[in-house]
Amino acid sequence: MAIPVEEAIAALSTFSLEFKSLKEHRAAHFVLLDFPNFNHLDLFSFDPNEMLNGSFQRTVSKCRRMCRGPHGLTYRGDEQPDVQGLAVLLSSERYATNSPIEYSDVAAYRLSLGEDTKAINQLNTLIQEGKEMASLLYTYRSCVKALPQLPDSMKHSQADLYLETYQVLDLEMSRLREIQRWQASAASKLAADMQRFSRPERLVNGPTITHFWSMLKLLDVLVQLDHLKNAKASIPNDFSWYKRTFTQNSVEDILQVLIVFCVESLELDFALLFPERHTLLRVLPVLVVLATSSEKESESLYKRVKMNRLLNIFKMIILKSSDGADNDWSRDIKGNMYDIVVEGFQLLSRWTGRIWEQCAWKFSRPCKEPPSDSQHGSTTFFDYEKVFLMFTTQFYWLWTLDILIDYGHLTTYMQVVRWNYTGEERRALLELIGYIKSIGLMMQRCDTLVSEALWETIHMEVQDFVQDKLDTMLRTTFRKKKDLSRILSDMRTLSADWMANTSKGDPEHNSLETEEMRQSTFYPRPVAPTAAQIHCLQFLICELVSGGNMRKPGGLFGNSGSGIPVEDLKQLETFFYKLSFFLHILDYTATIGTLTDLGFLWFREFYLESSRVIQFPIECSLPWMLVEHVTETQDAGLLESVLIPFDLYNDSAQHALTCLKQRFLYDEIEAEVDLSFDLLVEKLNEIIFTYYKSCAASTLLDSSFTYLCDDGEKYFVKPLRFDAIFKLRRVMVLGRTIDLRSLITQRMNKLFRENIDFLLERFESGDLCGVVELQQLLDILELTHQSISKFLELDSYSLMLSEMQENLSLVSYSSRISSQIWNEMQTDFLPNFILCNTTQRFVRSLKGTHHSSQRSSASTGKAYFYCGSHDLTMAYQGISGLYRDFFGIPHMFAVVKLLGSRSLPGIIRALLDHISSKITAMVPKITALQEALPKSIGLLSFDGGIAGCQKIVHEILTWEAKSEVKTEVLHDLKEIGSALYWMSLLDIVLRQIDTTQFMQSAPWLGLIPGNDGQVKHAYSDNTPFTTLLSAATNAVASSPACPNPSSFLVMAKQAEAASLLYKSNLNSGSVLEYALAFTSAALDRHYSKWSATPKTGFIDITTSKDFYRVFSGLQYSYLEESINPSRKQEMLGDSVAWAGCTIMYLLGQQQHFELFDFSYQFLNVAEVENATVSLYQYSDRNKSPNFLQGYEGILEAMRKARRLNNHVFSMLRARCPLEDKIACAIKPSGAPLHRMKFTNTVSAFETLPQRAT
Amino acid sequence: MARAGGHGMGNPVNVGIAVQADWENREFISNISLNVRRLFDFLLRFEATTKSKLASLNEKLDILERKLEVLEVQVSSATTNPSVFN
Repeated sequence: MAIPVEEAIAALSTFSLEFKSLKEHRAAHFVLLDFPNFNHLDLFSFDPNEMLNGSFQRTVSKCRRMCRGPHGLTYRGDEQPDVQGLAVLLSSERYATNSPIEYSDVAAYRLSLGEDTKAINQLNTLIQEGKEMASLLYTYRSCVKALPQLPDSMKHSQADLYLETYQVLDLEMSRLREIQRWQASAASKLAADMQRFSRPERLVNGPTITHFWSMLKLLDVLVQLDHLKNAKASIPNDFSWYKRTFTQNSVEDILQVLIVFCVESLELDFALLFPERHTLLRVLPVLVVLATSSEKESESLYKRVKMNRLLNIFKMIILKSSDGADNDWSRDIKGNMYDIVVEGFQLLSRWTGRIWEQCAWKFSRPCKEPPSDSQHGSTTFFDYEKVFLMFTTQFYWLWTLDILIDYGHLTTYMQVVRWNYTGEERRALLELIGYIKSIGLMMQRCDTLVSEALWETIHMEVQDFVQDKLDTMLRTTFRKKKDLSRILSDMRTLSADWMANTSKGDPEHNSLETEEMRQSTFYPRPVAPTAAQIHCLQFLICELVSGGNMRKPGGLFGNSGSGIPVEDLKQLETFFYKLSFFLHILDYTATIGTLTDLGFLWFREFYLESSRVIQFPIECSLPWMLVEHVTETQDAGLLESVLIPFDLYNDSAQHALTCLKQRFLYDEIEAEVDLSFDLLVEKLNEIIFTYYKSCAASTLLDSSFTYLCDDGEKYFVKPLRFDAIFKLRRVMVLGRTIDLRSLITQRMNKLFRENIDFLLERFESGDLCGVVELQQLLDILELTHQSISKFLELDSYSLMLSEMQENLSLVSYSSRISSQIWNEMQTDFLPNFILCNTTQRFVRSLKGTHHSSQRSSASTGKAYFYCGSHDLTMAYQGISGLYRDFFGIPHMFAVVKLLGSRSLPGIIRALLDHISSKITAMVPKITALQEALPKSIGLLSFDGGIAGCQKIVHEILTWEAKSEVKTEVLHDLKEIGSALYWMSLLDIVLRQIDTTQFMQSAPWLGLIPGNDGQVKHAYSDNTPFTTLLSAATNAVASSPACPNPSSFLVMAKQAEAASLLYKSNLNSGSVLEYALAFTSAALDRHYSKWSATPKTGFIDITTSKDFYRVFSGLQYSYLEESINPSRKQEMLGDSVAWAGCTIMYLLGQQQHFELFDFSYQFLNVAEVENATVSLYQYSDRNKSPNFLQGYEGILEAMRKARRLNNHVFSMLRARCPLEDKIACAIKPSGAPLHRMKFTNTVSAFETLPQRAT
Repeated sequence: MARAGGHGMGNPVNVGIAVQADWENREFISNISLNVRRLFDFLLRFEATTKSKLASLNEKLDILERKLEVLEVQVSSATTNPSVFN
C-alpha cells in the first residue's frame, strides 16, 4: 500500500501539485490523531502528501491500464480486486447544480433578479412534481387483471362487487386525472412564464441561463408525461396539443431564443452530462414544431437558425448511435488533476451516453427472427425526413427507453433484447460497462483527495477571470462604456475574493492598482463559488454580450452588435462555458452517480404493458444475458467482468427506490438478483471445477503420447485465471455484502463429494475390471483438489474420500470400495472369470452371465465429473477401455492403491475364508466321486496301446451318473484356483511396492547388500538418518545463538522412532505364502478323507482313496471333453489346475500324481508307442502314423496340462517348501525307509522371488 | 437595456465586504465538511479491511470446525467400541 517516496516525488513533479500548504497537513492530521495505531498496522498509510500523490499516481496508472483492459486490478488493504463498480453512493445530494436554498441568496447580490428567481423556483417545483408523476405513470401497471372475475354464484351481490371494484379503480383513476390536471396547469404556467419573460418592454431582469434550463427541463418533462400517457397516439397529435396552449400566447421570440440556445449548446458540446444533452435533443424538435406553427414564424426562425444546422445535429446523432465500439478514448491522459477529472467526466458521459444511444437504437430496431443476426440497413438509406422522424421517436423516448415504434407491428421484449444482441455486441457492451464502472469507482475513491484541488482550481479560475481579466477589460475596452463597465464591476463585486486585504475591498480602487501589485494579491483558496454566484455570473455575462436583448439575430456570442472586441468576447465565452462545467465538477459524487448509472438497462415497463405478461423470464433480462454471455463463452478476458452486470441491478434497484419510488419494482429486481446470483455461483463453480479438472487430466495424460498425437493440441487446456474471483470476499449486491469466496468454497466442497460419490456409484454399477478407471478418475480428482487448494481452503481430500467411502470410523476396516470389490469377487469374478496362466490375466468366460447388464445402467454424469473437457474424457475413456475386458496386474495395482493397507487385509481374510468354505463344501462331493471309483486302480497297461488305455480309463471312471457332482467339483476347484492365483497376483504387486519402498528407505537406514544376496546393516546400532539428525541437533544445541534447542531434540528422537518403524517394516511377509499356509491348515481337517495312510507304510499304488485319483479322473475327463467339438463344454481355464495341484501338493500327493495320473500314463504309453512305431516305419517317415490319428488333440491337451501342472508345482515348491512333510520311500537297495523327509530340489520356476530365510 | 437605473447593485462596497466574509466562512465550512468526509471515507475503508480479514478468519475457523467434527466422529467410533482396543 505504501508508495515509495521516489514515485511520490515523480508524481509530484509530473503534475506539479502544490499541496504543501500548512492547512493541508493540519487537515489530514485531524484524521490521523484519532487513529494513530492504524498507521502502525499499515492498514493504509495516512501521510497526506504521500497519500495524495501516491493514490494519484495509482489513479493515473489505473487510467493507463484502463486503456488495455476493463479492469485495473489493484489491491487495497483488504486484498480484494476491483471487479465491481460503485455499489452504493454515499450521497447524491446536488448542492452545486441545484441550489439547496432555492437561490434565496441571489437577492444578496442586488441584481434585481427577484422575479427571475421566483420563476425559476416555480419551474423547478413543477419539474420535480412532473418527474414524480412521470415515474408514477411509467410504473403504472394495470390492476384490472388483478380484479376477480365474477362467478355465477355471486350474481346476487353483483352490485356490491362492482362498487368495490369501482372504489379500487377510482383511486388509480383519480391519480391519472390529477396528472392530467397538473399537466394542463403546468403547461399554462410554463406558457405564462415564457410570455412574461418574452416581453422586452417589461422591466424584468432575465431570463437567466438557469431559467432557460428550467424551461427546457419542464418542457421535457411535459413531453415525456404526455407521451407516457398516450402511449399509442401518434406524435403529431401531441404536438398539436401543445401548440394550442402555446399559440394562445405570443411566445415566439422566446421560443426562438431557446432554439438558438439549444442549437449552440449542442454544436459546442457544451453539456457536460449526457442527460443534459439528451434533454436538449428531446426538446429541440418540440420547440421547432412549436415555433413553426405558421409560415411567417418559420421563416423568421430559419432566418436565425439555418435548417442545415438542425439537420446536421440530427444526422450526427443518428450516425453516432449506429457506430460500434469507440477506440478514440484511449488517448493518453495528461494534464493536471482538474483536467483529468473533467476528462474523466467527459469520458464517462460519452460512454454512458453511447450506451443509452445504442440501447435506443436496439429498441428501435427489433430483431425480426430469433436466428437471423442480420442488422437492418445502414442509416444512409434513410432520407433526411425519415432520419428526422426517427430521431424524434428515438429521443422522445430515451428517458424511459420504451420507444414506441410505429412501423406497424408490435414488438416484444424478446425481439428487442433477447435476440437483438449478437455475441460481439454483448461482449462490447460488457466491456464498456466495465470501463464505466471501474473508472467511476476509481474517481469516487479519490473523491476526498482531489476535492480540495478541484475547489482550488475552480477558485483560481474564477478569481483569475474576475480579478485579472476583467480588470484588463475594465481598463481598456470598457473604459468608455459606463453601463457595460458597471456590469463588469458587479461581476467582480459578487465573486471576487480579495483575501484579507481590506484596502482592496473596493473594486474601483483596485482597478487602478498597478499590475504588479495586483498579481500578488490573490492566492488560491480551496473554496468553490456557490450556485447563486455562478448563476449570477452567467446572467451578467449574458447581459453583457447581448446588451440585454437576447432576441437579436445570431447566437449568444455571435452578435457583434454589443460593440465588444472579438478577443474579449472570446474570453467571456470561454469563461461562460467553464462556469457551467464547474457546477458539475463541484457535485463530484452526484455527477459520478449520474454518469455511471446504467440501471435503465433493466427497465421494461413499456413492454410489460404491451406484452400483457406479469414479468419476463430471466433470459430476457439484459444484465442476466451479459452474465450468461460470460459463463457461456468462458472468455479469459471477460471472466473478471462477471460481476459487472450485478452493478446494473444495483443501479436499477436504486433507481426504483429513489426515483420511481416503487416498492414492487424493487421486489422484482431483488427476486431476479437472488435467482441470477445463485445461478452465477453455480455456473462459476462448474467453470472453475471443469477448468482445473481439465488441467489435471491434461497433466496426467502421457505427454509422449500427446506429442505424437496428430491433434494433440486438443488435450491442452487454454489457461484461465480465477485469482480475482477467488479473492472476492465482499461483493456488494443490493446493499448486502456477500462473501463470494466462501460461497465458492462451500459449493466446491460439495462438488468434490458429489464427484467422488458419482465415481463410486459408477464403479458399483460396473464389474471389477472398472477398478483401473476408478483409480484413474480419482487420481485426476485428487490433482484437481490439489490445484484448487492452492487458492481456496478446501476440506482435505483424504477426509472427503473416506467420508464418501463410509470409512471414517476408526474400528471399521471395510469401505464402500472394499465391500464392492469383495461383493464383485464373490458374485461375479470368481464364478464367471477364467484364468489364462500365460498372460496372467483373468477374462470373462463366454458362458459367464454378463450380470452387468442386469444392473441399473450407470447414470451418465456431467462432463466435469469425468475429465472436464470432452476431448480429454474421450481420451481417458479410450485408455480405460483397454482395461475393461480383463483383470490382471494393472487392476491389482489399482486395487492395492485404492484399498490401501487398511482395507486390504479384510479382503484377503474374506478370500481365505472363501477358500476354506469351498474346500469344506467340496468334501462330500469328492467322497461321492471316490465312492464311484473302483477299490483298486492299477497302472495302465502298455499292451493295448493308446486305444486300450482309453478303454481302461473309461472303465475306471464310471461317473456318468454323477456328471452334476463332477461339474460342481470342477467349478469349486476353479474358484479355489482363481482365488489362489488372485493372491499370487496380489503378492507380485505388493512385492513390487515393497521393493520400491525398500529402495527408497535403504540409504537412510544404512542397508547394504551382503555377499550372499542378503541385506546387511552397515551400522550396528544407529542409522545414517538418526546420525544425521542427532549431529545436527548437537551442532544446534552447542551453538549459543539457539536459545531453545528442545525442538531439535524432539526431532532427533522422532528420527530414531522413524528408523525403527521403517526397519520393522522391512521383512514383510508374503501374502501368497500366508494364503498357502492357510489353505494347508484348512486341508489338514480333511486330511484323513483325502489321503489314505498306507497300512503297510509303503506307497499304496492301487488305492483310489487319495485325492489325486479323483483329480486325475476329473482332469482326464475334462481334457477329453474339451477337445470334443460336438459338445460345447464350458471352459474353466487354468485355475482348475492351480487348485488341484495346490491341494495335491499340500496333501503331499504331488509325486503320486505325477506317477499315476491317467493323462501322464496315457502320454507315456503314446510316447512308447510312437517310438516303437517309428522304429518299425523308419523307412516310411512321411506317412503319418495312422494309429495316432484321432488322438493328436487329446495328446496335445494332455501335454499342455502336464506343462501347466509342472509350472504350478514348481511355483509351489518355491513358495511353500514342505520340509516337514513325511513320507515313506524305498531305497535303491530295496529296503524300505520310513518317515523320511522330502528334500526340495531347486525350483525350475526361478523367476519367482525366493523366500528370505 | 433591462437593468437600467436603480437596478444595479445598491452599495457595491457593502456587497463586496459581505462577499469577502462569505468566502472566508465558506472556507471554514468546506474544511470541516471535507474532513468529515475523509473521516467517513476512512471508516468505510476500515470496515472493508476488517470485514475481509474477519472473513478470512472465519474461513479458517470453518475449516477447523469441520475437521474437528470429522475427528470427533472418528473418536466416538472408537470409544463406543472399547473392546477393539483391549
